[in-house]
Amino acid sequence: MRDKQIEDLKDYKYGFSTDIENFKAPKGLNEDVIKFISNIKKEPKWLLEWRLKAFERLKVLKEPDWQKPKYPKIDYQDLYYYSAPKSFKDKPKSLDELDPKLLETYQKLGIPLNEQKRLNGIAVDAVFDSVSVATTFKETLTKQGIIFCSISEAVQKHPELVKKYLGTVIPLTDHFFATLNSAVFTDGSFVYIPPGVRCPMELSTYFRINASDTGQFERTLIIADKGSYVSYLEGCTAPMRDENQLHAANVELIALDDAEIKYSTVQNWYPGDKDGKGGIYNFVTKRGLCKGKNSKISWTQVETGSAITWKYPSCILKGDNSIGEFYSIAITNNHQKADTGTKMIHLGKNTKSKIISKGISAGFSDMTYRGLVDISPKATNSNNFTQCDSLLMGNKCGAHTVPYIKNKNSDSNIAHEATTSKISEEQLHYCQQRGLNPEEAVGLIVNGFCKEVLQQLPMEFAVEAQKLVGISLEGSVG
Amino acid sequence: MLKINNLSAKIENKSILQDFKLEINPGEVHAIMGPNGSGKSTLSNILSGKKGYDVTGEVLFENNDLFSLETEERAHKGIFLAFQYPLEIPGVNTNVFLKTSLNAIKKARGEKELDAIQFLKLVKEKAKELKFDEEKLGRQLNVGFSGGEKKKNEILQMSILNPKLSILDETDSGLDIDALKTVADGVNALRKKNNSFLIITHYQRLLEYIKPDFVHVLMNGKIIKSGGPELALELEKKGYENIN
Amino acid sequence: MEEQLKIDFEKKLKDFSYSDQEKKFKETNFKEFLKNGFPNRKLENWKFSDLNQIIKNNIGELTFYNDYKKENQIDKIELISELEHNKIIIVDGKIEKIDFKFEDKDKIDVLVEQSEETIKENINSLINLNNAFSNKFCKIIIKKNYSLKKPLIIYHSTNKNTQSKNTNSRIDFKLEENACLRLIDIFKDNSEKNFLNIYYNFELDKSSILKNYKIDKAINNNVKYSYNNVKQEANSISETFILSSGSKFFKNEINCDLQGQHSSAFVNGIFDLDDENHHEIKSNINHLVENTKSYQLVKSVLEKKSKAVYQGKIFVSSEAQKTDGYQLSNAILLSENSEFNAKPELEIYADDVKCSHGSSSGSLDENSIFYLMSRGLNYKEAKKLLINGFLLDVIEKITDEEIKNLIKDLLGVKQ
Repeated sequence: MRDKQIEDLKDYKYGFSTDIENFKAPKGLNEDVIKFISNIKKEPKWLLEWRLKAFERLKVLKEPDWQKPKYPKIDYQDLYYYSAPKSFKDKPKSLDELDPKLLETYQKLGIPLNEQKRLNGIAVDAVFDSVSVATTFKETLTKQGIIFCSISEAVQKHPELVKKYLGTVIPLTDHFFATLNSAVFTDGSFVYIPPGVRCPMELSTYFRINASDTGQFERTLIIADKGSYVSYLEGCTAPMRDENQLHAANVELIALDDAEIKYSTVQNWYPGDKDGKGGIYNFVTKRGLCKGKNSKISWTQVETGSAITWKYPSCILKGDNSIGEFYSIAITNNHQKADTGTKMIHLGKNTKSKIISKGISAGFSDMTYRGLVDISPKATNSNNFTQCDSLLMGNKCGAHTVPYIKNKNSDSNIAHEATTSKISEEQLHYCQQRGLNPEEAVGLIVNGFCKEVLQQLPMEFAVEAQKLVGISLEGSVG
Repeated sequence: MLKINNLSAKIENKSILQDFKLEINPGEVHAIMGPNGSGKSTLSNILSGKKGYDVTGEVLFENNDLFSLETEERAHKGIFLAFQYPLEIPGVNTNVFLKTSLNAIKKARGEKELDAIQFLKLVKEKAKELKFDEEKLGRQLNVGFSGGEKKKNEILQMSILNPKLSILDETDSGLDIDALKTVADGVNALRKKNNSFLIITHYQRLLEYIKPDFVHVLMNGKIIKSGGPELALELEKKGYENIN
Repeated sequence: MEEQLKIDFEKKLKDFSYSDQEKKFKETNFKEFLKNGFPNRKLENWKFSDLNQIIKNNIGELTFYNDYKKENQIDKIELISELEHNKIIIVDGKIEKIDFKFEDKDKIDVLVEQSEETIKENINSLINLNNAFSNKFCKIIIKKNYSLKKPLIIYHSTNKNTQSKNTNSRIDFKLEENACLRLIDIFKDNSEKNFLNIYYNFELDKSSILKNYKIDKAINNNVKYSYNNVKQEANSISETFILSSGSKFFKNEINCDLQGQHSSAFVNGIFDLDDENHHEIKSNINHLVENTKSYQLVKSVLEKKSKAVYQGKIFVSSEAQKTDGYQLSNAILLSENSEFNAKPELEIYADDVKCSHGSSSGSLDENSIFYLMSRGLNYKEAKKLLINGFLLDVIEKITDEEIKNLIKDLLGVKQ
């Protein structure tokens, strides 16, 4: 009985693909494709020009090579940059018009989109390949002046906001993958919380890559105006495919005076099979700007999927008294590789940051925490605390810690601690003596190891994440 | 219930137990006494299934070959070890741990698992009996617990999991007299017709509160003398050197 | 610069009667250096210290040829008087004197033949530069079971007329089984704006002990780089202590291969920096087999516009189970313009290990100062007392009493 359940769990639960007719841009990366994307989205001229500027810049940029996980060369001309279900050519106006197959897909993923079965207290924006397919709870949110829609819709309906903030945190010229995204981004979420409003529910985007040979380049922009608060969740899955798929998203957060943004991710892209075949390349740029005084941005991530994860959700603490936080659990098993961490750039006075990172590697996998804490000369009375723990399971995997610490201010303090250990035989024996099997025991101990981070997640996500932590390590003991 | 025949154990070629024999019947309380290094902890480790020992001989638990069972399977069958040094498991809530264990055992036995409400009711009741600070149940397992609290936590776990054979490995060490009494009360409450105990200890003071049916003296990996409760007193008087 | 390098290299080859093998070795290294040049911040290892820029800003144009015919001024070098010692005196990269007067002569060999092995190495561009321009080869062998009675002090000096020069020196050491060497490096600069490049190779055989104390205390305007390459066999111990203070720029790099079981490495350091000095310690401790141990402690006290960098790396291979690796760095920034950068790195492939690192940086604790002042000390005294206490921790790690006292005196630190 137990074995059967483990067998079920071991398989990537979200590995099915949806047989749906797609409408794609021609393969390859060139000006015509960019124009095609911009055109199909009926974008204003300035945005097309912005994209083309990014593309110009891209031509001189090189793919970075300093990261630990290496990957085979990606042929950018062999990818589709736009793929949408055919029924989307004329966008459905309501859920009733949505392709039933899509509804079914999200149902299977546990994300019901129709309002009768909607998740309690969570508004969802679902992104399927290159387009946003549905946003729930729109009316409730609109009443409070909150804008929560796809970025394509925001470009049409709120161009002034998009124009004002797009690319202000991740500039066009940032680095190869961010610039690539700026040139070809297709869809993603847009959130604006007006001054003084506390968003009454969790906002959530659910990303799904379905089509093959397709890169997903979503762009998310979240603006929390003065004194507002929002908690935002992001989830991701993809079908099992033999080839590697590229996911290069850009996420920009902007918190004005006294505003707070909490951004949580549970990343469970397809990690490839046991031998390391297939899986998603998750090369994501996430950056938050604490623009106003007393603002706060908090990143929480649970990274269990993808063949290669390569991301550093960062905070630029520009406003005086602003706060940046980064809570991370990263688990690699089999042949997965992750190089992840954060950057905390202290620019304003009295800025504070906290980094809690828990890395677990098993199988033949490789895990790197890479982080930067930089306190500039003007950031007087600032401080950072970093705790970085790694857990190794077996001696075929690696766990690495590469923190960069720069303190240029004598009134500021930086403290960094890191440990590397394994689950002790004694702990395992103790749990087993109380009746847990080794897999359960490991799950329990690892969840304990990760607790500080799991606590940061909203309730609904925390339960899911705990299960994921256990499942991701299946087969790594005994 | 438990039958140990010619059990010998080595660790890194060092012999610890030799031709060890013991039989425990349902409802009996046995005490094993011995000086440091006599092999007491090795015995409890082997019975609970700890790895790292070279073992020969036979141990039967209700006619099951113990050595063919994994640690957790032994727990499912009703063997409980109160550890000499209970482990700290950071981040794991004590309640969560207890509920997970209890349900894992229930599931293995094909019994109905408890839901959160039933479990909390049970745990509250047991904690009260053992004068175990309820607030501690919400804390991380054994983290920041005093020595006495850790030991009491072991007894609490024992009374919740309700095992058939409880092995108490030096549960009395590090306990003050009040805590010792509470622990003993917990054990005595569990003494039933079908529940057996193996109490491993250095001193006889625990045996003043938990009256054993049999006392065995373990020296250099062997039982050198067995008797009734009076043997413990004799040992206390004469010391291990002069017994025999 | 390339032009200058070529001219100077030609001169160099003419000056010494190098064997064909040596010539080939030097040429290979020279070519490598020409290809890569001085390291800059594009290299991960030099991210916090752009040597190319530092040489440009502090020296300007370098020349690489040293004329040793002129007076070497060896007598002008002030020697350590507090401590009886053996000595090696290096002026402008040339070994002018080797004196083991306290030792049994037959227990120490000095070789001048270069072996095949050393010829193959290719570590970094500065080692290439060193190999191309250093003089005759020198290897010191301490024989089996022999412990030097007195420490060996190596004086690194420059001629007072030497300016805008690059000088290179290299010594190889072999400690045979159970041998013991206490080695002190002392820097006595007689001129300014030079780039000193020092390279030591250590082979530690079974159960041997190396203690290397590098003392850069005297204030000078030179730029220095030192590379210690240590290979350790079973049960050997290496202890490195670095007092990094006086030079304009100093980067100390320690590479330690723990390749025998139960070998251990200790790297301790103090950055005591003032003005615009910029110093760095870079360590690579490679745990390659089971049961090895490393311990690193680095403390910094930074005044004015000074900058300290500590890049400490612990590498644990998948064979190196039961590794014990520890690393800690603490820095006190005393001026708003001072800067501390750290990159404490762990790269671990074995699961049964105990590895940790910690790093902290910040200001002097005002509460402690207040406490001391309330007991009657003035601000300056209180500060001094706290800094002494802060640094004493590292000094206490020095296992040699004599040398510990010498360093305490140099730093003005009282118990």
